[in-house]
Order: sequence, then C-alpha cells, then structure tokens
Amino acid sequence: MSQRILDFQDVDAGYGGVAVVRNLTLFVDAGEVVALIGPNGAGKTTTLMTVSGFAEVLRGTVRVLGRPLPKLRRAHLIGRWGVHHVPEQRGIFYGLTVEENLRLATRHGRVDLDRAASYFPVLESLMSRRAGLLSGGEQQMLALGRALLSEPRLLMVDEMSLGLAPIICEELLPIVRRMADETGAGVLIVEQHADLALEQADRAYLLSHGDLVFDGPASTLRDDRGFLDATYLGLGGGEESAP
Amino acid sequence: MILGIGAGAIIAALGIGLVLTYRSSGVINFAVGAVATYSAYVYSSLRTAGTYPIPPLPNPLAIAGGPSLPTSVRFGSSVAETPAIAMALATAALIGLLLHLLVFRPLRYAPVLGKIVAAIGVMIVLQSVVLLRFGAQARQVEAILPTTPVRAFGATVPADRFVLLGLVSVTTAVLWLVFKYTRFGIATRAAAENERSVTLLGFSADWQAGTNWVLACTLAGLVGILVVPITGLTPNLLTLLVIPALGAALLGGFSSFVIAAGAGVGFGMVESLLLIMQQRLAWMPKLDLVDALPFIVIALAMIMRGRALPSRGAVQTRNLPDAYASGMSFRAFIVLVLCVVAAAIFLPFDFRNGVTVSLIGAILCLSLVVVTGFVGQISLAQMALAGIAAFGIGSFVQNAGLPFALGFVLAVVAAVGFGLVVALPSLRTRGANLAIITLASAVAIQYLLFERTGWFGVSALGRKSVPPPEILGLYFGPSTRFPIGDSKIPQPGFGIFVVLVTAACCLVVTALRRSHLGERMLAVRANEHAAAAAGVNVRVIKLTAFGIAAGLAGAAGALRAVQLGTYSPGSFDVLASVSLLVVAYLGGISTVSGALVAGSLFTQGFWTVVTDRFTNFGTYQTYVLGLALLVTLVTVPEGLDAYHREVGRALKRRWRRPEPPAVVHEKP
Amino acid sequence: MTESVVLETRELTVQFGGLLALCDVSIDCHRGQLTGLIGPNGAGKTTLIDAVTGFVRATGQVFLEGEEISALPPHRRAHRGLTRTWQSMELFDDISVRANLEVASRRLTFAGGLRDFFGGRRVVDERARWALEVLDLMDVAERKPRELSQGQRKLVGVARALAGGPNLLLLDEPAAGLDQTATVRLASQLRGLIDLGHTILLVDHDMSLVLRVCERIHVIEFGRLIASGTPEEIRADSVVIRAYLGSSGSRA
Ligand SMILES: Nc1ncnc2c1ncn2[C@@H]1O[C@H](COP(=O)(O)OP(=O)(O)OP(=O)(O)O)[C@@H](O)[C@H]1O
Ligand SMILES: Nc1ncnc2c1ncn2[C@@H]1O[C@H](COP(=O)(O)OP(=O)(O)O)[C@@H](O)[C@H]1O
Ligand SMILES: [Mg+2]
Ligand SMILES: [Mg+2]
Repeated sequence: MSQRILDFQDVDAGYGGVAVVRNLTLFVDAGEVVALIGPNGAGKTTTLMTVSGFAEVLRGTVRVLGRPLPKLRRAHLIGRWGVHHVPEQRGIFYGLTVEENLRLATRHGRVDLDRAASYFPVLESLMSRRAGLLSGGEQQMLALGRALLSEPRLLMVDEMSLGLAPIICEELLPIVRRMADETGAGVLIVEQHADLALEQADRAYLLSHGDLVFDGPASTLRDDRGFLDATYLGLGGGEESAP
Repeated sequence: MILGIGAGAIIAALGIGLVLTYRSSGVINFAVGAVATYSAYVYSSLRTAGTYPIPPLPNPLAIAGGPSLPTSVRFGSSVAETPAIAMALATAALIGLLLHLLVFRPLRYAPVLGKIVAAIGVMIVLQSVVLLRFGAQARQVEAILPTTPVRAFGATVPADRFVLLGLVSVTTAVLWLVFKYTRFGIATRAAAENERSVTLLGFSADWQAGTNWVLACTLAGLVGILVVPITGLTPNLLTLLVIPALGAALLGGFSSFVIAAGAGVGFGMVESLLLIMQQRLAWMPKLDLVDALPFIVIALAMIMRGRALPSRGAVQTRNLPDAYASGMSFRAFIVLVLCVVAAAIFLPFDFRNGVTVSLIGAILCLSLVVVTGFVGQISLAQMALAGIAAFGIGSFVQNAGLPFALGFVLAVVAAVGFGLVVALPSLRTRGANLAIITLASAVAIQYLLFERTGWFGVSALGRKSVPPPEILGLYFGPSTRFPIGDSKIPQPGFGIFVVLVTAACCLVVTALRRSHLGERMLAVRANEHAAAAAGVNVRVIKLTAFGIAAGLAGAAGALRAVQLGTYSPGSFDVLASVSLLVVAYLGGISTVSGALVAGSLFTQGFWTVVTDRFTNFGTYQTYVLGLALLVTLVTVPEGLDAYHREVGRALKRRWRRPEPPAVVHEKP
Repeated sequence: MTESVVLETRELTVQFGGLLALCDVSIDCHRGQLTGLIGPNGAGKTTLIDAVTGFVRATGQVFLEGEEISALPPHRRAHRGLTRTWQSMELFDDISVRANLEVASRRLTFAGGLRDFFGGRRVVDERARWALEVLDLMDVAERKPRELSQGQRKLVGVARALAGGPNLLLLDEPAAGLDQTATVRLASQLRGLIDLGHTILLVDHDMSLVLRVCERIHVIEFGRLIASGTPEEIRADSVVIRAYLGSSGSRA
C-alpha cells in the first residue's frame, strides 16, 4: 500500500545555478504526514518549490508519483498529477471571490460548499467576498480549504499556521492527518510551530542552512527538545547575524 | 438618436474586445481596431477580387529592389460570402496566435507597461501593412446583414444596425457568463493576476493566454467584417474608433463587459444626438465638442468613483523597470555636454538637426521619466502639455510682444498649470484607468483648445508662427547665422541653446532622483498605502511629479515650436502622445540615461538621420519602424537602458573578480 | 483621560457594506507600555489599526496624546507620531533599506526639499540610523528589500515604523513567519524599546510572544471588545480560551 509519492535522491536545488539546498534525500509515502522544519532561510520553501518546478534541480533526481519532473514550461502538469502546493504567499487570487477561488481547485468547477465549510466554518459566510478583502488568517484558511477540496495525492503546505489564531492551528493538523488517513494522500508540511507539527506527523526532516540535520520518526525529535532547540539556536538562527 | 445605434454597436464591440484582453492579460490592446481592419480588408479582397493576400506585404523584396513575387492566392473571380467570412476569421485567429507566440509570450514577465507598448507596436505594424497592401483608398463593401429599412421611434433605420446591436448584446452576455461562471473564465482572470499561482493549480497559463489572444482577435475580426458594409472601409477608420472604445471600456473600469457594451452603445447615440442638436441649435459649438464631450464625462464619472488610496487587497500590477540613480560625476557630465555642443556645431546640417530633435525628444521623455518612471503614473497627455507651451510661446512673444525669456518662462508656466489639472484624476484613479483618463485629457485639450481658430492666435490655416529665441540681444534662432560652420539651416546657435536647456533638465531630474523627494516618489510608486503610513502625502507627491513633468514637457514644446518657427496642432495630437510613451519606454522609462537614449530614437532624430544615410525604406518606413520596435521590445523587455546596464555589468564582471550573486526573493 | 494615555479610541465603529467589522471598540494604550491586541481571525484587529491610522473610514473618536485625530488623513496622523507595520510587510521594493527608513524619518518641507535638490550629498539621517542599529539591520542598509530573507524583511518593516519617530508604534503580526530564535530576539528588541520609553500596540497570534512581553492585553471577537487585562487574567479568562486560545494559553 505504501506507494512512494515524493522522492528526493541526493538533490541539490536552488535558484540561478546556486544551490540553496544540498544533498537532500527525502521521501513521502502514501498516507503519511511528514513535517519539514527548520529555522528561517533553511531552504524549506525552496524544497517545496523544487517539487512544483519553480526552483532548479542542480543535481540528483526528484520523482513525483514515480515520474520525473517535467520541464519548466510544462510545470502545470505537476498540478494535474494531483500535487497541491500551498505556497508561502498563499497563492490565492485577490480579484476573485472566495467561492471562485475554491472552484479553481475542483475538477468540475463545482464547489462542495458543505465540505469546505466542514473544514473551516467561517468560509461559509465569506463565499461572495473578494478574497483580497479577507483578513490575513481568513486568506490562509481559504488557501488551506482550497487545498483540501482539491483531493490531492500529494499535499504540500508552506508555513501552514502562518497568521492563524492558536485555536485554529490546533485543529488544523488533525484535519490534515484525517485527510491523509482517509484518502491515502501524502502530506508534506512546513511549520514554524515545531511542537504542533511533531505531535501529528509520522516523520520529520530538520533542515538547517540547506543541510539535512535530522531525518527520522517525529517522536524522536519530539522527545529530544534539546537537539531541536540547539539546531534553531546554534546551527540555525545565524541567518540574521550573518554578514 | 436611434441613428447612432450602428456607431454605438461598433464602439461597444471594440470596447468589449478591449475589456476581454485587459482581463485576460492586463494589456490595453490598442491593436484591436487594426486587427478588425485587416480582417475586413481580407474579406473585401476575397469577395471582390477572389484573392487572398499573403501576409505581410505586397512584395517583401521590394525594399531591396529584388524580383517581384506572387503575393496573393487567387480563388476565381470572387469567393462566396460564407467561405470568405470563414477565411477572414481564420486570418484574424491566426494573427491572434502569432501575437501570442511571437510577441506576448516572450513578454510574459515584462512590466505591464512594456506589454501595452508592444500592443501599440502591433497596431503600428498592422496599420502600415494595411496601407501598403491595400492602399489608402476607401472601399465599399457589400452588406452581409439584412438592410431592409425598419421604422423605429420615429426614424427609419436599416435593419443591420439592430442585428449588429443584437450580436453585440449576445456576445457581451456570453463573455460575461464565461468569465463569471466557467472554470476557464475564472482561471483566465486568476492568471492575469498571478501566473505562477495558477500554474500551481494545474492550469497552463501559456495555453490560457494563447486561447484568449485567439479569441480576442477573432472577435475583432468579426467586428471588422460586419461593420465595414455600414461604415465603408478605410485604413484608419477602425483604428481611430479605438479611442471612443477605450472610453467605453474605461467606464466599465476595464473589467465589466456589460457596462463597456452599454457605454459604447450610449456613446454612439449621444454622438448622433449632439449632431442633430448642432444642426438645430446654431449656438452649440462645432463638431469638436462631439468628440470630446462623452470622453470628458466618462473621465469625470471615473474620478467620482475612484478612491484616494487603493482599497485593501487591490491587485497591484505596477512593476516598472528599476529607477537607478545616475552614477555619473558632475565633471563627466560637463565633458559630455561639451561633446554634444561640439557635435551641434561641427556636424553636417542634417546631423545637427538630428541632434536638436533628439535632445528636444529627450526632454519630452524626461517628463515621462518623472511621472511614470518615478511615480508610476502612466500619462498619455504629455504631448498635449508640450503643445500648450508651443502655442503659448507664440502668443506671448509674437502676439503679445514679451521678451523671449519671459515668454518662454510663461509658456512653461502655462504648461505646468494645465499639467496640474491633468494630474487631478491621478489623485483618485490609477493604473490603466488613469492612463486612459489622461488620454481623455489630451483629447479634450486637442479639440477644445488647439483646433479652434482664434484661440492662442492660431490662424485659419491652423498654423502659428514663432519668433527665434533672443537673450540679451543675442539671437539663437535656427536660421540666425552662426560665426562658425556652413550656412545651412539649422544654424548651430539654436543647437547650443537646446543643448544647454537639455543639460539643465537632465541635471534637474538627476538631482530629483537623488533627492529625498525622489525617494518619496519611488515610495509612492512602490506602494501608496505604505507611503501614506510612513507620512508621505501621496497627493502632494503626485501633483509635484505631474507639475515637474509638465514643466519639462512645456520646455520641450516651446523649443520645438521655436525650432520649426511655425507650428500646427497636428504634431501635438493624441497619437503623438501615444508614440511618445512608446519611444520613452523603449529607451528606458525610469532613468535619465534612458530618456537620452529614447530621444535619439525620435523620428528625424539622430538615429533616423544615421540610418537614413545608409538605408532607405521609403514607403516601408513606418512598417520597418514598427517591426523594429517589436523586435527590440521582445529582446529587451525593460527598455534599452536596462539592457545597457546589464551589458555593462557583464563586462565589469569579466574584468573584475566575480562577486557572489545577489539573493533575490520572489515578490509576494 | 489621564496623562499617561497615549492612544484612546472611543466607540470606534467600522462598517464595510453590511458587515460590521468593528463595533463600539474603546481601548487605550498607556505610555511606556506594551499593549497586546489579540482575537480570532477576522475579528477586526487589522481593521482597528487601519481605523486608528486613517486607512478605513470609521465612526467614533480616536485621541492621540489627548488630541482628537479622527478627521486627519493617514499621512498627517503619521506626522503626529502614529506609525505602523503591515501584516504583509508592504516595503518599498525599489529603494534601499536605508531609503525605506528615510522616507518615514524625514519630513518633506519646501525649503528642505529645495536644499536637498540643489545641495549635493545628503547627511545621514540620525533617526533612520538609530532604527537600523536597534534592529540589527546595519549590514543590509544599502541592499534592496527584495534581496533580503523573509525574517529580515519583517524587521525592516518594524524599523521603518520606528524611524517615523513614533509616539505609538502599531505592529501587525511582526512575528508571523519568524522562527523561534528570531521571535525570541524580537521579543527582547521590543522590550528594549519599551525600556527606552516607547509605547507599542502589538497584534500577533504567537501567544508565547504576546503573553510574555505585554503589560496589558485587549481581546476582540467579531469586532467587539470581549476582555481586557493582564496576561495572567487573559490566560485564565474562560471566554478568551473558548474563542481564541484553545489549549495554547496553558502551554505558552
Ligand atoms: N474593505 C473591506 N471590505 C469588506 N470586508 C472587509 C474589508 N476589510 C476587512 N474586511 C473584513 O473585516 C473582517 C476583519 O478583518 P481584519 O483584517 O481586521 O481581521 P484581523 O482581526 O486582522 O484578522 P487576522 O488575525 O486574520 O489578520 C474580516 O472578516 C474581513 O474579511
Ligand atoms: N528566488 C530566490 N532566488 C535566490 N535565492 C533565494 C530565492 N528564494 C530564496 N532564496 C534563498 O534561499 C535560502 C533559503 O530560502 P527559503 O527556501 O525561503 O527558506 P525557508 O523557507 O526555509 O525559510 C535563503 O537564503 C534565501 O535567501
Ligand atoms: Mg519559507
Ligand atoms: Mg490582521
């Protein structure tokens, strides 16, 4: 059953020929929730962008659902295969209404309003509002709601709880967990609240300055807070103070 | 009033074409009328002569004087209606596809203004193809739609007007439905806002954009074929109708098909109404008002609807090339000025003239550098403002007998005054809407001021004479004999005068960019909200920029008038304003050096003189220029100046040790 | 109204069409204190900041240092010392970080403008320099914002508001997207500003930050004020727990 949905083998990836992430080996199997954590500038966003075709693979191979990545011109194919990527800037369209934003994610353009509302009840009352007018958190909920509606085979969420109220953050991971369990989708999430992410995730990858410093069961990292904090403080964190 | 229905339907059809392209790609498609015209000509050739013209030209080798080649395919003596329509529409669709593949896809990451300039380039090329291929003579085209007269509301009107109106309504409804309810339509709107995000959702933005270009051009083609039986076929007609169509699209805020269509129809009706009233009421002003009035009304409506600051989450599409501060030292600048002075003295007369024209052009471009490059407001009224000063200097010096220097200053002040009025809409509107409103201002100035005899002392011929510059008893006229050099006109004295004025203007704009005021302008260009929150008075900044720009435009206009010694309104019309924007963008719209490059590209400017020496395109001139424009734009989407900088940097990197590449973040 | 109140809103109400985004909200910020403003998503926190700084039309009154400013346009309020950051940063991407700050720190006067215009090299603005130093941004002063990392961009936003010479600094989610280390550093930087006598209103969803650094906290939900008090009181407030905190209050 455990089909390999995403597979990085010894990958260097970056922009303009310069590697931001080095030597990354990472995989996500069907039905798994995998957390990708690390300090600012570690290369988490770059990793996700690589899968979507917007960062360059400089070395190694990336396979999505067993297929190699298409050329940049055909990057939209990745979306068609069932990969749903919620980018750091959320990727919602300010000029469209909430409902129209949701419709873009569904195959036949028909929105299953009830299902969207079951994830985020507030969305229901916002359906006809222009997405640009939403509050930051509401925009994040819209982006996540759209992702869940699209029934992805691989869901990647960058900075999942960015701008969300604590009470929502708590509910979020269980929702994603449930989706992975029910549909057998693979999930890769980037999250600043490491504790929250590690509670629900099966496995975790810890990136720092583009290097993988940990990979293994989430529980290991959960129990070893010392190591996690050291990564953020010692190895990471250097970003702002670096010249 | 019913009589205006035909004209109204045409304007409406072009209006929704404009909205369609704007919503799918953010481009104001100035070429929509030209595409319609071309298709109409194809149709007419098929029907009347049975020939299908092979684009693009009668004989591509004619330039080089080569052998003549067959340039059309014959299908008997005449092609039946239906296949002719099909072929003409297919041609339009093909134009759409080519535009996408050759022009707009390569420009996909270019600043929006670059794409608009490209659309203008396409318009120029198509327009000249039509002229070269089919000649300027008007043609009559056999009716396609039924023309049986129908009586309605007390007037007799041919039925085709109503059919046309019906077709426009249906198309509008269909487009509205598609854009609102289908996945394709929603994704199109989404792609216009953020291409990368739609790609993430599995849409091919490329395919989407291509489809929309084909759709828009086919629609334009259909308009052309259906309306020319009513209007007659001339090369310019539909191209010029783009202007009222822009007004209609503007009322719909470039987003509502329904309002744009309604406004178009309304336009036609109001115009015919005004015409009738003019016939009945002698006191009504002449035709000019008819053209200007609806436009002005729409501009006012938009201003009322606008907001002082954009609303929350407004879609921002205002990226422009980087506005680098000049790195040139003052000493280097003086050397440069001296070189140009020497050029203005010692070059042969045609080059001397080229230098003068280029420098005046550069001042005009500087005015756009200030408003558009620094503050991000697209103005299509700069030529009209230059015209104000051109006419002003004649009135003040020639008619009122003031000393030249005083007259010059007053002329510039007059331009600034008008510039501030033109700037008012910018306080409440922005982006494409503002651009078209400034175009409306230019139309208003043209019709209400320039084209009236008596005003500004314009003679019945619409010309006005301007005296040579005189300062402290010294004359600097183009024909005042200068002690050095040959005796051909223009004499170097005037050239030197122009060099000095241009140098002063360059210094002012350079100082502006380096000053705190300049930084505030760039802050407004980047983000009006954040600027206001940082304590920037956005209105004052915009007005200041428009004022300075109008001053520059005024100086250029006055110089131009002096150069020619006599001046007519034609050179300051709306089309001149539009081409100014094109040239300024091509040179580099956000830098002083860009303006200088742009100046040399002016017609009769330095570059033209140089190329004229070695080549002669004769009648192909416009066509070649248009093509050159497109090719340049596709290769250097941010203008020549940005390209020069790039090359400069690459050379530096060669010579010095390599620096680590700068980290660039994707803009949110 | 006491001497120590820097900002006071009285019955501030904002309506967007049929939506009541803020309803009779009266809050205040005391001099030299860090005041928190929290609430669920869409509660109206950003709208409150918008209303106070003049970006949305509101009814009710806003007082700054005892003077009513409700009728002033945004830039005039900024001149009075009301500066803010934005939830989505909104930096001026075309000019250097230093210039970003100087737009806020310098006033444009006619005479000054002329001097600037004709008088060659400019002096470095002191306040801008100070703001850069406080937030550790000296190294990137000449870079353009778009070349910086997400975390640094956030700080530039704060620095720009600080350079405006604020009586009151309004921060909209400055810690969103920052990692743990950066958040801790931000917390100490904010406390440092308070120690220098600044007054701050902080909106954020990171409870470990808000509950730790604020003296007082206001909570709004559906545009209404539902609680005000010290972090301890808020943490224990059952209404706030149900509406907003969930179990995180106990964890932070
Ligand atoms: N111009 C507007 N028109 C209509 N509704 C608006 C407008 N601006 C804001 N809203 C709505 O007002 C409500 C409050 O928004 P606000 O941005 O103040 O929330 P917030 O408390 O800052 O939330 P978050 O924590 O998610 O940032 C939201 O539901 C938002 O959709
Ligand atoms: N478009 C880009 N071009 C060049 N470098 C980039 C780009 N985006 C990010 N980087 C650099 O890559 C590194 C990793 O960034 P990112 O993947 O965004 O980190 P994270 O998401 O872990 O915070 C950073 O040093 C950042 O400056
Ligand atoms: Mg990131
Ligand atoms: Mg908010």
